[in-house]
Amino acid sequence: MFKFIITLFLGFAFGSILLASQAFSWFRIQEMFHFQSFHMFGLLFSAIGTSALFLFIIKKKKIKSIHGNQIEVKPKKLELKANIIGGLIFGLGWSISGACSAPVYILVGLHWQIGLILLAGAFTGTVIYGAFINKLPR
Amino acid sequence: MNTPLAWYFAGPLIGLMVPILLILREKQLGISSSYRFVGATLLPKLKYFNYSKNQDRWQIHFALGLVLSGFAAFQLFGAFDEVVIQPILDYEKAAVTIYDVKNGLQFFLGGILVGFGARYANGCTAGHCIMGVSQFATSSIIATISFFVGGLIGSLFINPILF
Repeated sequence: MFKFIITLFLGFAFGSILLASQAFSWFRIQEMFHFQSFHMFGLLFSAIGTSALFLFIIKKKKIKSIHGNQIEVKPKKLELKANIIGGLIFGLGWSISGACSAPVYILVGLHWQIGLILLAGAFTGTVIYGAFINKLPR
Repeated sequence: MNTPLAWYFAGPLIGLMVPILLILREKQLGISSSYRFVGATLLPKLKYFNYSKNQDRWQIHFALGLVLSGFAAFQLFGAFDEVVIQPILDYEKAAVTIYDVKNGLQFFLGGILVGFGARYANGCTAGHCIMGVSQFATSSIIATISFFVGGLIGSLFINPILF
């Protein structure tokens, strides 16, 4: 229960930041891909920088989780073709829908019709991936 | 709320999610695995969905928090239509109505590509761009570059046809 509430709260906080910074917005995404504003790039770069700094501190100081375990961070496996082709397809979807995975859920709460359509699309895409998983190049 | 929270405040706050999730929940930031979890619940017979889904359960709770944040924003500020939009390039006319259901087909198509691409690339903007790149993981750097190339093509060449 405690874990559920913590996770729910963190999701709420993450969503609130994406809302306040308008990163969830279709228009901000188009603006980014048209290089019309530094806003989204600033967001991404400063988020990555902050995260990298804290990951460094966690590693250096051997910081433990609240459960007393050593925190270990694993990089995602390199699958060149999957990363590139999947990435290109994701990027297309990101620009068309103006939403990546987190904003899809935010939009369910904000504009429920379009949000649910997006979510249904994302599930459909996942099912298609699951059906063809063995035929896709890696 | 017409102007967004400045990137130099919001960006570091987004970045802070990574250590907070690690310390409080021992989880690496990511959201798109939640799609697989739901698939496993709805269609357990498909081989890809037959996995130990408990590892991804937390993402459903996280996603629920995201939905609630959108709902709370709706209650506080309305549909955000007037908020989000400083007119951008050719999309001024579309500004108020982009989230209209008449664009449902385009959004459904975009959703399919997001879901398929995120699972195929093994991560999305959160898992690859933020979590992965801040670890300097090769897979995530390559995926992030691909996200942007795909996004440029979509935004510059496909969207003018679709919308």
